[in-house]
Amino acid sequence: MANGFFTDTTLCIGCKACEVACKQWNQLPADGYEFTGDSYDNTSALSATTWRHVAFVEQNAPPDAPPTLNKWLMMSDVCKHCTYAGCLEACPTGAIVRNEFDDVYIQPDVCNGCGYCVPSCPFGVVDLITHADYTETRHFVSDGRTHDDATQKTGGVAGKCTLCYDRQKVGAVPACAKACPTESIQFGDVAELKKRAKLRVEQLSERGTDSYLYGVDSDSSVGDLNAFFLLTAPPEAYNLPARPVLPSTHQPAGYTSAAFAAGALALVGYALFRAR
Amino acid sequence: MSAALDPDASYRGAGDGAPLPAHASPTYYDRPLLKKPHWEWEVIAYLFMGGVMGGSGILVALADETGDDEALARSARYLSFVLASTCPIVLIKHLGRPERFLHMLRIVKFKSVMSMGVWGLIAFSLPATAAAAAQLVRDGVLPEELDFVHALGPRALTNPLQLVLGAFIAGYTGVLLSATANPLWATGKRHIPAISVCSGVAGACAANNAMLALFGGNETTARKLDRLESVAGIAELALLLSFRTHAGAIGLPMFAGRRGAKLRSATMFGGILVPSLLNLVPFHARWKTLLASALTLAGGYVLRESMIEAGKESADDPRVSSRQPE
Repeated sequence: MANGFFTDTTLCIGCKACEVACKQWNQLPADGYEFTGDSYDNTSALSATTWRHVAFVEQNAPPDAPPTLNKWLMMSDVCKHCTYAGCLEACPTGAIVRNEFDDVYIQPDVCNGCGYCVPSCPFGVVDLITHADYTETRHFVSDGRTHDDATQKTGGVAGKCTLCYDRQKVGAVPACAKACPTESIQFGDVAELKKRAKLRVEQLSERGTDSYLYGVDSDSSVGDLNAFFLLTAPPEAYNLPARPVLPSTHQPAGYTSAAFAAGALALVGYALFRAR
Repeated sequence: MSAALDPDASYRGAGDGAPLPAHASPTYYDRPLLKKPHWEWEVIAYLFMGGVMGGSGILVALADETGDDEALARSARYLSFVLASTCPIVLIKHLGRPERFLHMLRIVKFKSVMSMGVWGLIAFSLPATAAAAAQLVRDGVLPEELDFVHALGPRALTNPLQLVLGAFIAGYTGVLLSATANPLWATGKRHIPAISVCSGVAGACAANNAMLALFGGNETTARKLDRLESVAGIAELALLLSFRTHAGAIGLPMFAGRRGAKLRSATMFGGILVPSLLNLVPFHARWKTLLASALTLAGGYVLRESMIEAGKESADDPRVSSRQPE
């Protein structure tokens, strides 16, 4: 059984409760007060310490169309927890694992910050937590005692959505899904969520709204996404790749290229050095 | 699903050399879709040194093949050892948590090119160390009582190991870059690994030729190194040009603008064509060898710097990173 998210963007109202709940539960530092001017989005992107990000897309109707056709798309982005995850395959320490809920989890006490997962994510999700993100020693209270947080008091490791591994462990719903007031973010068994999502696409179609599922029945090498989305605009509009590719699929061509060059040069060298 | 919503409707095969379609799908406020690597000078320096180290491993085997290139075998063995000792230092320094570098040794992971590289580096350093120690005894630097190191690393064993593992080290760094979602690097999956090998071999020829010029070696060997360096350099140049054509618009961060000018002047022209011409001139002097070697090595460093820095710029362009190279 795989647990994941179904994020239905037609239900999102852009309240950012998911962003806040995620920051609170996971004790992630704030993003500062940058004003972007990009609609209502001052978060901009997922980062090592921002694990939910609500995108705002204002689409204006053509000048001659009634303004009621203006669209305001909102979409809460998150780590996709891919079936075949680029970050997990790239990780040389085994810090990135697939846990018992079939989610992709970074063990913060194992990661040594090599950074290879960062360019290996086809969705641009995972990034390195900088030391500047954690300047104070952080504490948590357990059993009535205060402890230093051994895993999060310094940076230098990779960070991304854990799909609230700790909450799932005790049977709780991940913080973002729990906080979502419209059930735009639904958590549960992925197979069950997919059935629900397909019904939702049909329902929307009957009401005259074109939509599709991003990350379901995928023909991409990353496979289906354990955190998938119902979208009403092309993926690029939400900063999702139109065609994500699993990086390790490039390895055979790469190793062949290197072996061919090395073999050819060794032969040339052999001929040159044997000549008296 | 309507055609307008088909996720693949706007997809065009990337890497076929064609410019990106003008109808350009929407972006999200032009914000980057991918994250860029945080790699700085340490990784660039490692890619460069690893190439020279791997190339030197190949030269050790080639030099011993003929038997009369003892000075080259010596310099290549020492260079392999020195670089195999230096590379881990810069690699550990680049980690976000350097004190955890041993975590790399928790697992052997064939799917992870970086894990393969770590183990390749360790595997290479064993015969490199044994061969260098035996060489030190032969050269009288270490006392003859330590002669048993010969038994630990007989040339019949260390030479083929240094050849194969050296070739792996010179090439895997290119595979490591290619096996990512980075548009520039992934588009270069058939070029970048071969370019890395060629640059590594040319760099090793240059570095060892400089050693021979400084510490003495025979003229015949130096000419052989000249020729191998030119062959590797010209192959690298051809591959770079082919990569530029193949990558099309995706290659712009590497081949256009200031970075492109630097790559053309320092690597393609100054680091390959000029030293090759210098090698061709039938006039031999120590200064000429040293100059050609320095130019080749500088070109090799600029090549690695271009690949890393252009990769960062490539990751920042959402139009390019939405259509990831198959």
